[in-house]
Amino acid sequence: MTVFKHWELLKYLTEREIKARYKQSFLGFFWVVLNPFFQMLIMSFIFSKVMKVSNLGVPYPVYLYAGLLPWLFFANSLSNAAEELVENASLIKKIYFPREILILAALLAKVFDFSLSALIFVLLLIWFKIPFTFYMLLFFPLFALQFLFTYGVSLFLSATNLFYRDVRYLLSLIITLWFYLTPVIYATELFPEQYRWVFRINPMSVFINAYRQVILAHNWPNFQSLGLGALLSVIIFFISLRIFKKLEGMFADVV
Amino acid sequence: MAVISFQKADKYFYFQHQRTVKELVQALFIKQKTVEKMHALNNLSFEIQKGETVGIIGKNGAGKSTLLKLIAGVSSPTSGKVIIQGKVAPLIELGAGFHFELNGRENIFLNGVILGLKEKYIKEKYDEIVDFAEIREHIDTPIKYYSSGMYMRLAFAVAVFTEPNILLVDEILAVGDEGFQQKCMRKMEEFKKKGVTIVYVSHTMDTVKSFCSRVIYLEHGTLKYDGAVNEGVALYKKQL
Repeated sequence: MTVFKHWELLKYLTEREIKARYKQSFLGFFWVVLNPFFQMLIMSFIFSKVMKVSNLGVPYPVYLYAGLLPWLFFANSLSNAAEELVENASLIKKIYFPREILILAALLAKVFDFSLSALIFVLLLIWFKIPFTFYMLLFFPLFALQFLFTYGVSLFLSATNLFYRDVRYLLSLIITLWFYLTPVIYATELFPEQYRWVFRINPMSVFINAYRQVILAHNWPNFQSLGLGALLSVIIFFISLRIFKKLEGMFADVV
Repeated sequence: MAVISFQKADKYFYFQHQRTVKELVQALFIKQKTVEKMHALNNLSFEIQKGETVGIIGKNGAGKSTLLKLIAGVSSPTSGKVIIQGKVAPLIELGAGFHFELNGRENIFLNGVILGLKEKYIKEKYDEIVDFAEIREHIDTPIKYYSSGMYMRLAFAVAVFTEPNILLVDEILAVGDEGFQQKCMRKMEEFKKKGVTIVYVSHTMDTVKSFCSRVIYLEHGTLKYDGAVNEGVALYKKQL
């Protein structure tokens, strides 16, 4: 496995991503935490006070946050990873190391952001007196699956954005549409029944439903849909990795 | 022992006529050409032995940089084989991977691991690297405040401490002040004595003559001459 062989490189590249970003922005660490937090506040107000979403079993802010955080991790990772190779052009032209390390480092930096925001989520759980149960530990394997899926899509996007530089603009459009077709601000049950198959083939929706199941409903996730989501993730990962490695020898020529 | 071996290596560049999906879709509708092949290196076969100092000469666009990219392993041949034995240190556009927001110390470690060094080894050599670069008093300053001379010294220092078997040099000596240039040259002579293989790309024939023991002369991606320095340089000068 290349990751184990190059773990020091991975460590330093991840550190670079994190440090460089926090040194640049004035608010530093608060920024990544405040951004999703304010999104959650405004969305909570809109959907529980203006649009009046029906009772979801838990207070809406918690329900929303449980979906919003993993979603933001996914969306931010993709847009970051898509530009990762282009941004590291000078490296790619000169020194060889497996290029997927760059993508992985970008994603790990986002995991760091996600963990900071997750602390706020934990505080929110305490505030709303949601009990802590052992089902919550299932979050970790679920997140590992989501990471694999994100990594797969990122590998594909980063390579294609190198050849066609407007892929990232296309991506922001796709992410917006994808957001509305994923149960982040609403629940699957509120969606018209004849269209719900969309959620089954959308791994992000599978993961978010599973998170809510294990963290908020204190229950096992739906293993049938989770199985399909996991299968899709693994397939997408291996296909993307193959494409990425096939194109790798040309990265230095086109970057 | 051959440390670099090109076996009928061919390199094509696929020149994309469109750089965006939008243009690509348009082009597909009106049946325009999308990619064009360009022959960058043509059927190259040669071997470089351990300890040789080889100058690569040729006009702009002859394929010199592409050759270095193949040796560095960042680009792969379209057909044929390129076999490299040992660790390659590219002294090309120094400081690749440096981050301007990070300080000197952080960049030494970052650049070191990018060049394939172990963290433990960098720790051991850290003081030597800092002294060689002569930047001890600025080591905690973000390198965006460095002068270009300091930047080059730091980058060069990290690169030479990688203890490579193969050194790729692309006219780096054209930058920096005279003192630094001499320091680089001394370091290169040191490498030469240690038996490090050096591949040197240059337009300055005087340096090639004084430094190299063999030249490879490329023209339009084909090997025009491979052998003694004086004859190769004379042949090249005739073409100018």
